[in-house]
Amino acid sequence: MKLNWFTRKGIIYLPASLIGWVIMALAAAYAVYTFIDIDSRSHSVSDTLINFMFNFLLIGLVYTIIAYFTEAKKPAD
Amino acid sequence: MENKDEFLKKMENLQVPAASPHHHPKMVKMAILNAERSAALGVWLIIVPCYFLFCVCMYYYFHLKMGWFGSMLMLITGLDKTPGIDFIAPVIFFVLPVVCIIINLLAITHASYQKIDPEKSKVREFSFTLKIKPWNILLILLSLAVLFVFLSFALTESISIKN
Repeated sequence: MKLNWFTRKGIIYLPASLIGWVIMALAAAYAVYTFIDIDSRSHSVSDTLINFMFNFLLIGLVYTIIAYFTEAKKPAD
Repeated sequence: MENKDEFLKKMENLQVPAASPHHHPKMVKMAILNAERSAALGVWLIIVPCYFLFCVCMYYYFHLKMGWFGSMLMLITGLDKTPGIDFIAPVIFFVLPVVCIIINLLAITHASYQKIDPEKSKVREFSFTLKIKPWNILLILLSLAVLFVFLSFALTESISIKN
């Protein structure tokens, strides 16, 4: 089954269909939620950024794995 | 008529290229995975362990006792001690680099095992080809470095606990 949800630009996967945009919006919403959640519990700016950076990279990893398996195949030259 | 004779002479004197049936045939060496796609995923697979190792180096080896680097260290050790999510650290430092090595190796290597001479059935050839793709090779080396650091840390930790 071919899923053409994302296209790749370098190391970043961009949405190429409605489902791709939905997945990207969910990832962004979850990143914002984790930032607010971490910020409410942390004691300093660096504390917030460290914990958020870690979560952000993990969200990026999961998003990239989904995009890797649902990437649109480029036509052969 | 002259032209025809000349043409015939030329055709008669043409040297036919010698084609040896035993000569090794040229073949297309296709890798299993796409090199660029593997490199793109590989970057995301090792970015977290590399970021952590960068913080550790800054904290211990360059003695930068900044809150940022120390807090990152505490975050990972905290993950390791929290029940329920204690599997995350081994996944990040062992499973992800191993996956990165596998997908990048599959993207730049080609192996074949075949008969050289059809008349001699026992003579076989194993050929292993490694494509020079700098980004894939760099990711493999970085993943190996992360694995080496993690395994050496785990080994020394277990030895020190036993003693």
